[in-house]
Amino acid sequence: MIFSSLLFLYMFLPITLALYYITPKKFRNLTLFIVDLVFYAWGEPMLVILMLVSIAVNYTAGIIIGLKREKKVFAKAVFIAAIIINIGLLGFFKYAGFIGETLNIVLPFLNIPVIEVALPIGISFYTFQTMSYTIDVYRNTVKMQKNIITFGTYVSLFPQLIAGPIVRYEDVAEQLMNRKESLAQFTDGVKVFLIGLSKKILIANQMGELWDALREGGADSGAVGAWVGIVAYTFQIYFDFSGYSDMAIGLGKMFGFEFVKNFDYPYISKSVTEFWRRWHISLGTWFREYVYIPLGGNRKGLGRQLINIGVVWFLTGLWHGASWNFILWGLYFGILLSIEKIFLLKLLKKIPVTFAHIYTILIFVFGWVLFYFEDMGEMGSFILRLFGSDGFGISADLKATVFSYIPLLLSAAVFSTPLPKKLYKLIKSPLALCVFDNIACILAMTVCTAELVSSDYNPFLYFKF
Amino acid sequence: MKIKKALKYLPSFIFILCIFTFMILYFVLPKADHSPQEKRNLSAFPETNAQTIIDGKFQRELDTYLSDHIPGRNLFAGIGSFYELLCGQNGSKGIYLGSEGYLFPKPAENKENLLKNAGYISEFAESVDIPVYMTLIPSSGFINSEYLPLNHEVYNDDKLIRSFGDTLSKKVIFKDVTDDFSANWSSKQLYYKTDHHWTSTGAYECYKLLSEPMGYTPVDKKDFTKEIIKDFYGTSYSKSALWTVSPDNIELWSNINQPEDSVKVEITDGNDSKTSDSYFFTERLSEDDKYPVFLDGNHSIVTVTNKAAKGGTLIVVKDSYAHTIVPFLSQNYSKIIMVDLRYYKKDVSAIAQKENAEAVLVLYSLDNLSADNNLAYLF
Repeated sequence: MIFSSLLFLYMFLPITLALYYITPKKFRNLTLFIVDLVFYAWGEPMLVILMLVSIAVNYTAGIIIGLKREKKVFAKAVFIAAIIINIGLLGFFKYAGFIGETLNIVLPFLNIPVIEVALPIGISFYTFQTMSYTIDVYRNTVKMQKNIITFGTYVSLFPQLIAGPIVRYEDVAEQLMNRKESLAQFTDGVKVFLIGLSKKILIANQMGELWDALREGGADSGAVGAWVGIVAYTFQIYFDFSGYSDMAIGLGKMFGFEFVKNFDYPYISKSVTEFWRRWHISLGTWFREYVYIPLGGNRKGLGRQLINIGVVWFLTGLWHGASWNFILWGLYFGILLSIEKIFLLKLLKKIPVTFAHIYTILIFVFGWVLFYFEDMGEMGSFILRLFGSDGFGISADLKATVFSYIPLLLSAAVFSTPLPKKLYKLIKSPLALCVFDNIACILAMTVCTAELVSSDYNPFLYFKF
Repeated sequence: MKIKKALKYLPSFIFILCIFTFMILYFVLPKADHSPQEKRNLSAFPETNAQTIIDGKFQRELDTYLSDHIPGRNLFAGIGSFYELLCGQNGSKGIYLGSEGYLFPKPAENKENLLKNAGYISEFAESVDIPVYMTLIPSSGFINSEYLPLNHEVYNDDKLIRSFGDTLSKKVIFKDVTDDFSANWSSKQLYYKTDHHWTSTGAYECYKLLSEPMGYTPVDKKDFTKEIIKDFYGTSYSKSALWTVSPDNIELWSNINQPEDSVKVEITDGNDSKTSDSYFFTERLSEDDKYPVFLDGNHSIVTVTNKAAKGGTLIVVKDSYAHTIVPFLSQNYSKIIMVDLRYYKKDVSAIAQKENAEAVLVLYSLDNLSADNNLAYLF
């Protein structure tokens, strides 16, 4: 089930809220756990079993490690077994086909049968969550969770189940057992949820239409159209993904949870290093915490640090999808981050801010080209088109299309910056603020519902991860 | 103080009220089976059993069902269109909103398919020994381009129709009406505002223009009385969901000199058939789409006979635009057989031979012929 659907908004959500709030406090996790399973099973009726297995394995591992900590070798063996199962499940369901195909290219004589399995929705997200728990229990930074319902609720919590943010167990352990829902928090949640919903429905979907039109226009788009197209995709992916995170955070608040921020205006960054501190923060944190630092981080000299950066970014790329372009995209950022670490970052601080912005924008916009095209041939011809292989001019029809999206492109640009928020903060009168908030809420609900009704164009980009 | 606090939390109350109201309305409101605006049946409640739930079919269909039956559906669709309009689309859902309340479908050109169809028509013309006439009707957006919004996709109807005509075999006598239509756009309303079809005026202009190559004397405009039908909301209107646009009038033109009982219309669809003594099927006016008032809309074969006409038999291979012009042509041909290749999949030359036809007229709108894949059924 996706949040930006009538089914979710006007059926699942009211029923879930009603059930949750009529349940006595003691049993609220159980209610949540049950609706989470329904939510997941809605789209993946059979694969919910896989998630339950993952919950059972990590719950058991946590208990054993927690109880038998003093038997170091045994605890370590259980820990390693749990990690292997986690990575094994993710590897099998997400990467089996990819690994098979790649091996067949490298070693054709092996003739490995390529397994095709349907990718279980959200597996990349919930596997990383369960691993954060097991690793932290092993490192003894969090207490084991004895209650399987509480643990199951953590893993399957529907707001962030499908597309993040990746909530570390450490961050919500306290809230899982002891949370106090309040009307103030609920109201905040409604606002954040509606902001996310509007980002997704009112901007991301439209940007997606423009990108599709220009990309499918092929040679007709010329270099100009190709650049406008990839800019539209740049906006689409940000508003889609950050919109989803906002919706998750907002829904979390409605049930008394506070999740960490996942996006912090990444497109205003002045360096790639800064960009990755602002984009998909929960994923970056995860890799830093569980891969980069354990590998030694920056504490073992520059050479080792560069290798560590390479490993982290190879994995970050691979995490996004079982395809070479994601690895390429990850390594692209790994290399750029290394270059910035060695000298560029110091240089960027000296030059005028505008140039630093332009440099960063070009880097991430071009990065989205690598991210979008899974087919290397298509990627190649699109890159050539960006540099004029099909001429520079755009066809009259596509020009008309681009012109018709100018108001939305401009709003997307403005809403990618903190400017609207700053303007909002300028409203000092409580009455004006109240009027503004309520009108904005009513408008957002009305227009989003209208767009959902009037168009079936509603795919979520982050489903495939 | 309390009021202040309540006001602070008002968004929560609005949100809760809204989602719960919708849910309750879903359960209690009666469900319509048909949407008149969209001209389609709404989806039924999905089949519920273990199988449909396990393979996810029930879940997928439920979303469509909810979308089809949401309370205030038309209102929301209209707001959605208004949002698109406001965002700079100059219309919505593939329809431009022009000045003077004109709605225009976006250009739907497909040169490749158009020229492929030219090939079929040429081959057909070569294979029969009677004259084959042809015309292609340009789209409203091209003819009424003055009413189009400033930013729009390009309508290339003139170039396309010219190259279509040039591609045709010399055996096809092609009449290009584009220039004459273009010259008349401001003085006459050739197309409906809320529909892609031409008006009776547009069809009459074409009837006059075809008289020269086809060699008949058109009935003078003065000899027609016009019955006005109000409140016609066409398909462009339904598609766009721009509900504030005003409706059109339909004019039914009747020849005052036509003797009573001279006309017979026989409609054949497979094995079903029905007859009528008028070109106009006024019972269709009570429907949402009133255009089928002309010759009862699309059928595989429609035979129109007029005892008072002097000419012989004419075969018209056509799309729905022909329904407006055939009543005029019927003043000059005693028997007209309209063939719709979308439904009639047998040899047209066989009909021509059997009926001893005097000529064939191929009449399509540019947009329809660009998309049509049935011309191979001509012969």
